[in-house]
Amino acid sequence: MEGHERNLYLYDRFNARVLGVSRDDVITLKYFAKSLDLTFPLLSNVTSFLGVSLYAQPEGRPIFSRRTIIIDQKGVIRYVRDGSPDFKDILLFLKKLNQEGGKP
Amino acid sequence: MRRHLRMLLCFALVGMMLSACATTGTTEKPYKFSQQGTVIWEDEFEFVPPPPDWKLLRVEEGENDINFGFLRSDPGPFPSLTTFAYDEEPFGCTAASFEGREREFFRRFLFNAILQFQILERRKVQVVGGEGLQVDVEGKDPVKGEKVRARVVFGKRGDRVVGFYITQWRPMDGSYDLSAFDIFGKFVSSFKFLKKSFYETL
Repeated sequence: MEGHERNLYLYDRFNARVLGVSRDDVITLKYFAKSLDLTFPLLSNVTSFLGVSLYAQPEGRPIFSRRTIIIDQKGVIRYVRDGSPDFKDILLFLKKLNQEGGKP
Repeated sequence: MRRHLRMLLCFALVGMMLSACATTGTTEKPYKFSQQGTVIWEDEFEFVPPPPDWKLLRVEEGENDINFGFLRSDPGPFPSLTTFAYDEEPFGCTAASFEGREREFFRRFLFNAILQFQILERRKVQVVGGEGLQVDVEGKDPVKGEKVRARVVFGKRGDRVVGFYITQWRPMDGSYDLSAFDIFGKFVSSFKFLKKSFYETL
């Protein structure tokens, strides 16, 4: 999470926005964000429909899998990686996507 | 007018924290020695290495991982151990201010140990060709009967804060070996960036 916060200026450069989704409740997320000085949105999805729709909800488990997803401006999922975020990979992908979007 | 992408980066969060697993040694050596006896690490960093009784410390890939470091088992009962490292992404998010980064860093530094830190000294230093901040701390765990003395040096690589740190663990009644801090000091003062960071090339 801190890695994303550190990279916000680069996400901004590539016209990307970041948000987190968790099954934790709003109060928990509020304190979590405060503890790490996070400024980007964290969404509480207690009912898990977002995780289910993005295949990040393992069956029978109360929490989402850790997954990074990049969605382009048309709503198309362009990037999916499981596990800890690979920030350099994410940034290179966003840079490429931004360059594609910038072409006439 | 240039169309702006509006991309959304979503995360499904499993846990709120990630811990790294330390490993020692690698299958391929990521370093070579210069004619001057310094280490050239992955053609990116150059530094004076510690004496041979220090083992190389590497950490598996992941969030908030150190790049590399060195560790030494010290004489005496557990937990007598000294470790130092270079960290490209030290804890914290405040890129512009060393003081802000220090506050954030110590909120999570050695967080598994649940220590009460006391600042021993804080001073400005020159590091990696620019101004930096050096902070000496001591933490104690009266429940486990352990203590740690640490020095953290914050510097800049491009716009981003990088960190160097050394931790020396001892039983509560043990004494520190400050000569290890001198070895760490040589490592830090000799440290050079041989090329721009990934972030500077984006």
